[in-house]
Amino acid sequence: MEIFVLAFFALGYLVLAGADIGVGMALPYLGRSAAERREVIAAIAPFYLGNEVWLVAVAGVLAGLFPELEGELLSGNHTLVVLLLVAWVTRDAGLWLRGRVPGARWQAFWDGATVAGSWGLALSWGGLLSHVLLGIQGPLAALPALAVAALFAAHGLTFATLRLRGVLRERAAVLSGGAGEARTYALTSAALLAVGVLAGLRLPLEPGTAGPLLAPIVLTLIPFLVAAQAWVWWTFRHRVTGPSYL
Amino acid sequence: MDTVELARLQFALTAGAHFLFVALTLGLATLVAVVQTRATFSGDPVHLRMTRFWGQLYVINYAMGIVTGLVMEFQLGLAWSGLTEYAGDVFGAALAMETLVAFFVESTFLGLWIFGWNKLNRWAHLAVIWVVTLTAYASAFWIMVANGFLQNPLGHVLENGRLRLVDFGAMVANPAAQVAFGHVLAAAMVTGGFFVAGVSAYHLRRRTAERDVFRKSLRIGLGVALPGLFVTATFGGLGFETMQPGKIAAWSGSAERLAAVQAEMTALHGPGDHLPPVEVVQTAGITMLVLFAVMLFLGGPSFLLMLVRPVVHGFRLWHGLLTLMIPLPFAAMLAGWVFREVGRQPWAVDGLLTTAEAMSPLSHGQVVFSLTAFSAVFGALIVINVWLLGRHARRGPGAVALGDRPIEAPVPVPSF
Repeated sequence: MEIFVLAFFALGYLVLAGADIGVGMALPYLGRSAAERREVIAAIAPFYLGNEVWLVAVAGVLAGLFPELEGELLSGNHTLVVLLLVAWVTRDAGLWLRGRVPGARWQAFWDGATVAGSWGLALSWGGLLSHVLLGIQGPLAALPALAVAALFAAHGLTFATLRLRGVLRERAAVLSGGAGEARTYALTSAALLAVGVLAGLRLPLEPGTAGPLLAPIVLTLIPFLVAAQAWVWWTFRHRVTGPSYL
Repeated sequence: MDTVELARLQFALTAGAHFLFVALTLGLATLVAVVQTRATFSGDPVHLRMTRFWGQLYVINYAMGIVTGLVMEFQLGLAWSGLTEYAGDVFGAALAMETLVAFFVESTFLGLWIFGWNKLNRWAHLAVIWVVTLTAYASAFWIMVANGFLQNPLGHVLENGRLRLVDFGAMVANPAAQVAFGHVLAAAMVTGGFFVAGVSAYHLRRRTAERDVFRKSLRIGLGVALPGLFVTATFGGLGFETMQPGKIAAWSGSAERLAAVQAEMTALHGPGDHLPPVEVVQTAGITMLVLFAVMLFLGGPSFLLMLVRPVVHGFRLWHGLLTLMIPLPFAAMLAGWVFREVGRQPWAVDGLLTTAEAMSPLSHGQVVFSLTAFSAVFGALIVINVWLLGRHARRGPGAVALGDRPIEAPVPVPSF
């Protein structure tokens, strides 16, 4: 039961927030002007807040149900986790701040932060996953880390094809070509799920003692949490037709 | 500094920075929800402008609160794995509840509120801001439950060198948590109230165009801040009942009491320094109380002055004072937090686990690295937040992007 809860939120994060990371990585490729970049960002704008919070839920589930693993995993990968957090904050600051002041330089700077933060997130995830999955650390870990980052980027592009229109959609379809957009998205999602599941199998998933009390509460909450998110997905189900608040 | 001191500094700086954003968020969320409720019921354009103006400031600040909050969720596992291993099975449950019933729902609905403006039905949109506000309270509640456990452990047993949760209700009902939650929530209302009053006073002083918006806002701000001060003080007073003996002794400064606590703790835990740093505890406590007194002396008469319309429009010296007061609640909250947290030293979990034992097995270099990285990022975010809040506050309701239909249409660029 505890493992299901952890897997649910961790895999949900990889698929949902993985797309936001990928779109951020591909931002300079997808959006060639400030206005185009703003429209590309509108593709993830209503979702990324609700997507990244799946990782916050993972942190909470680790703290409540796997406290020993939480300490080992986070303090044992101290440098990577710090880099991941800094990249995450940088990416979010870029998204939140770009539209708050008019001016090309301000927006270019924060778009740069979004791109750098997204790459940083993807690479530190790559580093973490390859450490957990393959036990590789050091310079050699760059190879699997890059592979994972490329997977995030591909996933972001397939998500962008589902959200954007016109020339932006065509650019996003560079990998999928004429294949079905939804099917390509399903494929990159499945690949991320596979990486997540394999990494999870390598972890010492020894639950703490709060499970019998806490896990039923969490299981009861999950349908409500999913319903809240489904409301967001339903509200913003249409393709992007213009810039958003960001 | 040794490694533990550095790790403590890191936690203090990041938690303190996060706390500044949260204090304003909690208060401002409430005020935005109240104003939006009035706007939705009345349909009055003034109320709508108020909602969008304060909502914009709220979102700017909230965004920074969220990104610093993301880091906070990982801090314990990162630098204090001794604490999570020893006590995570107990207070980790409160942290899990915080992420799931509070942070998760709050973020989901905040996205819906920001991007669903002019898209959702207006009643649904109103419901969404109330969910965001209530889950913000829930977040503070569960964090205070976790913190209350560290201050005054309840609901656990010790088994095989680790704590196990046996009474969830006792942990939640912990007076050290409940009283602190009331104290912090009311103090956040004071923070939000004085912020709204101070920004409104700035515009009234400058005689900007939006007199109705800022007269009403100033009244709402002071109308929340003054009762908030009384509630804060009431819970603060109750808080003294729930304090550890070491904190009380340090606060009293009495050598006899300090010696008694030291002797009692030595008997229980063996030789060592079992007292918190007396000067820090006293300075923080006095700072909090002095700031409270200043706020009360200015807030009381202000509450009466605001009832007289010509005064609200024309008393410029008072306007200036109100604007200058904006930082006071923030400083008071930080001081109160230092008082509470430094006062429980040397314990991470009172009487059970020391701060030194709680630390992760990290090297000096690792802590220097994370301390530098987080301080740089958080410092930059604070500066940007203050600057952006000031900029948007000065510009007034005319320049608000939130809830506006996007103006710039994208220009298609030919691909050749």
